[in-house]
Amino acid sequence: MFRGKPTKAGPVTESISASPGIEGGAGASAPVRAADAGAADRSWPVTGTPFKNRAEATFLVSAADTLLLISLFLIVLGGYHIHAMLTMGDWDFWIDWKDRRFWPTVLPIVLVTFPAAAIYYFWEHFRLPFGATFCVLGLLVGEWINRYVNFWGWTYFPISLVWPTALVPMALFLDLVMLISGSWIITMIVGAMGWGLLLYPSNWPILAPYHLPMEREGLVMSLADLIGYEYVRTSMPEYIRIVERGTMRTFGKDVVPVAAFFSGFVSILVFFMWWYVGKLFSTTKYMAKI
Amino acid sequence: MKTSLFKTLAHQVKRQAGRLFALGLAVGVVASMASAGTAEAHGEKSQAAFLRMRTLNWYDLKWSKTQINVNEEFTISGKLHIMNAWPAAVAEPRVAFLNMGMPGPVAVRKTSFIGEQFVPRSIALDKAKTYAFAMTARGRRPGRWHVHVQLSVETGGPIPGPGQYIEIKGSMADFTNPVTLLNGETIDLETYGINKIYVWHFLWMLAGAVYIGWWFKKGGFVGRFNAVANGEQDTIISPQERTAGAVVLAVTLLVIIVSYAVTSSQYPNTIPLQAGNIRNLTALPDLDSGLKVKYVRGSYQVPGRELVAEYIITNNGKEPVRIGEFGTAGLRFLNPDVFTQKPEYPDYLLADKGLTLSDNAPIGPGETKNITVTIKDARWDTERLSGLAYDVDSSFAGLMFFFTPSGERYPIETGGFVIPTFLPV
Repeated sequence: MFRGKPTKAGPVTESISASPGIEGGAGASAPVRAADAGAADRSWPVTGTPFKNRAEATFLVSAADTLLLISLFLIVLGGYHIHAMLTMGDWDFWIDWKDRRFWPTVLPIVLVTFPAAAIYYFWEHFRLPFGATFCVLGLLVGEWINRYVNFWGWTYFPISLVWPTALVPMALFLDLVMLISGSWIITMIVGAMGWGLLLYPSNWPILAPYHLPMEREGLVMSLADLIGYEYVRTSMPEYIRIVERGTMRTFGKDVVPVAAFFSGFVSILVFFMWWYVGKLFSTTKYMAKI
Repeated sequence: MKTSLFKTLAHQVKRQAGRLFALGLAVGVVASMASAGTAEAHGEKSQAAFLRMRTLNWYDLKWSKTQINVNEEFTISGKLHIMNAWPAAVAEPRVAFLNMGMPGPVAVRKTSFIGEQFVPRSIALDKAKTYAFAMTARGRRPGRWHVHVQLSVETGGPIPGPGQYIEIKGSMADFTNPVTLLNGETIDLETYGINKIYVWHFLWMLAGAVYIGWWFKKGGFVGRFNAVANGEQDTIISPQERTAGAVVLAVTLLVIIVSYAVTSSQYPNTIPLQAGNIRNLTALPDLDSGLKVKYVRGSYQVPGRELVAEYIITNNGKEPVRIGEFGTAGLRFLNPDVFTQKPEYPDYLLADKGLTLSDNAPIGPGETKNITVTIKDARWDTERLSGLAYDVDSSFAGLMFFFTPSGERYPIETGGFVIPTFLPV
């Protein structure tokens, strides 16, 4: 139904390069939106343009930009949020899962996926260095809606039990490495490693107070443990938690840096794969027949 | 003519069919909504009969209060028998967790004990043992809530026990949860640290939004796409912008490092999350009843909701005994000759005249009797235990309670295969 009937007149071609709605379209060095669209209308009419005047062009391009921004944000919010909930799940949902081993290992690895693909999309097609931050912001908006409305508003779990992991500093690091280096290889190696390394220190200002010790009935517990114990989760028995398990004892109590480096290394590989996922889906070739 | 008439009718029906369908659907939806009752608890009924009958038996359950105010505490206590008849289909409770079943944290759990041991973590329990337990909770959210005891078993899932309605009065705004730390400071766990969570998240998200907005204002998608499509990808980002990016990167790292260092100096003594199983729990001592209870055979009548079980019972004890109660899956079937008064227990689980005996006379010391026990009540069906007739190994289990004149009580685990009698077709 989207295929147009062939006409005798033949297809109308609209040259992007001829579009004067933007200063800095074809041939201009800087793509800056026209500031004084109404006043600077001396160049009209322009041959081949679909717009009546510069004001209309500016408005429509601006509207298209805004619509695209909102649409992409909502798409990322939904898609990345579902991906995050299915993969990182409880490690991000609950404070008594945010341990020194699995939390800083699992989260960066499973969450570097969408940012890698988004960096490809935004960088390769728009030279916009905010793919990771865009994804993470979408994810966090979705998570906060979920945590506040569902977890707190509906079931009254305190926010201290269900706060999401702060991811923006990691995303900024990834994007800024891309911006400064201009190289996806360097971004993959340096950026993805930093993405893994920065999770724990970025979140420590929030987490640290909940790792203060207290005593109850002869057992020492962190406040995070206590919150998880006191605020009853009927379907969350304690043994479900995967906390500090494994045999990584060589480094004594300093397991976070080891976990973070491991996470960074795996994030590099995942970034590599998802960069190509971004490449695979940043194309209109699948829509050629529509 | 006929053809034309049929065509007209068919046309009319076709035109009206969609409307009629929509109208019917709307009427159906409204009718079903009008007949909908209040959502209640009792989800435990959805679990298979064999699971509830043959894994655990909760008894002597007491809810210290059923009406409390916000900040007031109540205790659930009782005994938990781990059945020897534990089904092969469920993993044994070597890793388990004593839990409460409630609709969210309407009350905060302050303690939970198995015997004398505080058990906030996972525990190991032994089959054929009985454990005393107690859990205390503090009222938090006003309302009338169904509060269950529950044992979760790794790979087996949650096994809820009986529930009781607890009414919490007052206002949640008045709820406080004071906790004293090892450093002597007392905090309110309900609100502790939450402002810090909001502030840090808000600041970082604001920084991210500003960063995106700043770049988005520089040409938007259409303009930058045009530029890149026309080969300007290497010049579209200026050196000044890259320098600004480097500054932002440095500031980001600086904020992370400084905030980490400040936090670490502010909280020098932190501990990791505490985990691990608690083993070697103390079970209640086995009672020397002197009773030998042999199950011979039994049948379950699906139409009559009736379990008939034949026993050979030998009393080698010092006192005569009488069968007073059969308990399974939280249900209590009482012999009215022994229980002359109705005990306090959730009504939906109490069949106070549900147990009758072929011979109600006491079994004297040294005596052996053949007794047919009839356990009959609609609760077999309402609690969906009649499903035992359709289980993979069609058997039942529970605790038979024997009483002596001196007030002793002996719970004996009993059970075995049953022959079902189905509804006539």
